[in-house]
Amino acid sequence: MAAAGVLALAVIPLLASREVVDLLVFTALYSIAGIGVTFLLGQCGIISLAENVFYGIGAYATAYVTTALGWHWLVALVIGMAIGGAVATILAWPVLRLSGHFLALATLALATIGHVLFLEWDWITGGTLGIGGVAQISFFGCVLNTPQRFYYLAWIVVGIVFWLYSNLLDSRAGCAMRAMRDRPDAAMVLGIDIHQLKVKVFVLSAMVGSLAGSLFASYVTFVSVDSFGIERAVSFLLIAVVGGAQTIIGTIFGAAFVTLAPNLLSRLGDVHPLLFALALVLTVIFLPQGIGGFLQQQIRRLFELSRLGGDA
Amino acid sequence: MTATLFIQSLLAGITNGFVYGLIGLGISVIYRGTRVVNAMQGDFSLVAGIVLYLCSEHLGYPILPSFLAGVLAGAVVGWTVEIFFVRPTRRRGGNEESFLLVTLGGAFAASAAALLFFGRDSRPIRGLGGDNLLDVFDATIRVHAVWLIALSIAVVVALRLFYTRATIGKAIMAASIDPDGATIIGINVPMMRTLTFVLGGAVGGIAGVLISPLITVNYEMGLLLTLKGFTAAIIGTLGNPFGAVAGGLMLGIVEALAIVFVSSGYKDVISMTFLILIMIAVPNGIFARRGRAGG
Amino acid sequence: MNTFEATRRSVLTGTMSTLAAGCFAAPVLAQQSDPISIGAVLSLTGPGAALGQAERSGIRLAEKLLNEAGGVNGRIIRVLVEDDGSKPDIAKSKAEALIFNEKIALMIGASLTASTGAISALTNSEKMPQIALTGLGPAIELTYKSLFHLLPPQALNAKAMLEYTKAQNFKKIGVLHDSGYGQLVYNNLKTMGSDYGVSFVAVEKFEVGAQDVSTQAAKVRAADPEAVYVIATSSVPFRAARQVRITQPIISAIGSSAYDYVRGMGEYADDIVFPEFLVGEDPESHQKAFVDIYKAAYNSLPKNYEAAGWDAVHIAVNALKKAGPTERTAIAQAMREPYRGVMASYNFAAEDLTGIELSSYVYSKLVKTQFTRLTFKAGTKS
Repeated sequence: MAAAGVLALAVIPLLASREVVDLLVFTALYSIAGIGVTFLLGQCGIISLAENVFYGIGAYATAYVTTALGWHWLVALVIGMAIGGAVATILAWPVLRLSGHFLALATLALATIGHVLFLEWDWITGGTLGIGGVAQISFFGCVLNTPQRFYYLAWIVVGIVFWLYSNLLDSRAGCAMRAMRDRPDAAMVLGIDIHQLKVKVFVLSAMVGSLAGSLFASYVTFVSVDSFGIERAVSFLLIAVVGGAQTIIGTIFGAAFVTLAPNLLSRLGDVHPLLFALALVLTVIFLPQGIGGFLQQQIRRLFELSRLGGDA
Repeated sequence: MTATLFIQSLLAGITNGFVYGLIGLGISVIYRGTRVVNAMQGDFSLVAGIVLYLCSEHLGYPILPSFLAGVLAGAVVGWTVEIFFVRPTRRRGGNEESFLLVTLGGAFAASAAALLFFGRDSRPIRGLGGDNLLDVFDATIRVHAVWLIALSIAVVVALRLFYTRATIGKAIMAASIDPDGATIIGINVPMMRTLTFVLGGAVGGIAGVLISPLITVNYEMGLLLTLKGFTAAIIGTLGNPFGAVAGGLMLGIVEALAIVFVSSGYKDVISMTFLILIMIAVPNGIFARRGRAGG
Repeated sequence: MNTFEATRRSVLTGTMSTLAAGCFAAPVLAQQSDPISIGAVLSLTGPGAALGQAERSGIRLAEKLLNEAGGVNGRIIRVLVEDDGSKPDIAKSKAEALIFNEKIALMIGASLTASTGAISALTNSEKMPQIALTGLGPAIELTYKSLFHLLPPQALNAKAMLEYTKAQNFKKIGVLHDSGYGQLVYNNLKTMGSDYGVSFVAVEKFEVGAQDVSTQAAKVRAADPEAVYVIATSSVPFRAARQVRITQPIISAIGSSAYDYVRGMGEYADDIVFPEFLVGEDPESHQKAFVDIYKAAYNSLPKNYEAAGWDAVHIAVNALKKAGPTERTAIAQAMREPYRGVMASYNFAAEDLTGIELSSYVYSKLVKTQFTRLTFKAGTKS
């Protein structure tokens, strides 16, 4: 079944229009950043509204390093992830001592601070005017300057990141996280350093966020502060919840929802933001486990039914 | 730095503080009764503000009935949200994030609807005492702002009495603390939850009619207010109405002082950093009961 | 798969309603054969809605009248308007759809600088001519070969403000600006101020969408300026300034003069000067025809952005008439010349891709909530 999905994914750019492929590229980019938030929420019980900061750090790192310094895109990408990781480590240590609503609010505070700094430090970020002419990614002379070409890179990265995360999910660390989320006292007794674990997961989510941001900058070749505000932070959270925080694959559906739904709805005229809001409400009400959780349930039920059918 | 400037900034900070506190108040009321973090609180105020504008400016009704219409509108929206958004989510087994997101969707919907039907203009509304200003040592504060502060305090006191003296208030608290136990002694828990949202909506409505004349009503004001109110409510411990106002005051004054003493560009950086530091320093919230970390 | 079903259904409904709308909209006077598509990415929702919706009104009016007059050599034009929701990422996606799906001949847009930037990277690589409804953006745009701007660069806006300031003999100026549009204008004011003998005694900033800026306004007042610059896309700072008793004259910029903001200022819309281009209440002679047509069609007065939308379509049609709708480089080349629009006189061959001179500016003053046109004209040498 997974193989069928991968095959479909591989074939789409050859069949679909450029516009659809472009949307799917954005879906991939948001999935990469989104999985960080999903994991924090689903496995650690942490609501993070700060992902836009790291997304922005990655994007601006790539933009600045390739335009002002003229270095290679891969170097820029690594620098972006390194800065994102470093910033996350410094912030996570004090902030992750908080819990519950305080922590959510603290991440919101970080998002606000990040947004203001992106605006104020315009010698790096270009402020409202932005930075144009960001270098595009190229592999051995093949420049990824069309959605179709970039699509493959984006989804391969999605595959790698998701594979990493599902390993994490099934690992000892994953079990420890779930213990920490559900029964923190018991976890402490078992000797799990909760704080260190939280910091590590937070830093990881920051780094994938920066990765996504770097790819984004190389794709659009233009970055401006409008893309990295509170709205972006909220949409990453939407991706996590609508996709289903408990699953990894659900993130893709969440990202698809956030990318495709507004675009399709905008054909219906000026009423489209209202329709998107209603679509969101309906999705949350009817699919409380998110799209991913819903699919998981359906698949499980299919297996049950087929097993019962076989036994009879 | 003149005395006038300092006083002006304090007046602005206090006024803003009560504005944030009013929204935080509504968020705390709803959280107290239902454990739902209501992302739509600012939009309750938006609706109330629009109704106030329509009644007083567009149709020309006198101020007091228009105010009441606005508050009523807020209560009605609160009721609608509970019945159509929150209840179905609860019935289908939503978790904490689901409620936050369903109200967030509601907030987007309200803002989009306002843009569609109300337009993209900002409309000014006459307040209590018109546009008159009060002079305090050459600094100014709008008469309406003074009314806002006074009425906010009145609302907080009224709520306190409601929760401690009125039977319904105590029933709401009981239903929220222990739904099963409350049902056993005959409290209609779902009704209490709806009532909480109606109350929260009414508080949002009061906030809306008081705030709108100060800031001009426009379709984007909902979420911006909600963010500030959220901050205020959490500083003061979620669920504590008095705390929300205190939290709001703290936020408003810090913002004003940041502008005056540091720079206006970095106002948000300073106030948000201050916020994080406060939360780390006082992990239980300034008014929390002991042992409940995280607010 | 609820979401996918719903998606398919909404695509179907969307397509049907678009088709239905298209059938009603197509005018009958010009030939129906094979219309020429022009794309337009505007901010119809979100913070830029005031600009985008105004531009759309002008565009639609121009489209209708140009088609009635015969379109492009007998072929009607179809302007496909898309909403970027004030977000640059969406602007890029919409641009992709317009260029590759709809096969547009020419792109108009966007309403906001960031969205223009996101689109221009694409139009440049595709050599598609683009008429931006914003001022010159980041430096990279100077290397683009087919991008033209209808709004003045912020440097010119700043100059227009300073020209008036110098003529009034104001030397000490206080500034109250937002961190978006206002920051862009101020960055230029800062570098040019001394050339006009102007020093900025107070500069205060607030975030876009701020509701209360009275403390910042008080700081400006405390510096005791001779006049105050208020630059923001909202009515809030204007009210705040007057409410903290700033009695000095206020000078603002074109982005703040929309009727939406003036209405929001209420009674405080007084003693404010805008260097802009179109004063609907008292238009210059070459603008009168447009104002009358607009009033007849929409029953309201147009202003700068409506005129910009109108000019955009006219410039596009002119170029298409000269170069035909297929050769992109030829169309861009056909545009690279002076053009006398309703909003301003342009010269797209100029270095700043706009070519507006200070002489195009019309200075308006709000007197008791009404716009009046000042006789003041900035120096002709810019």
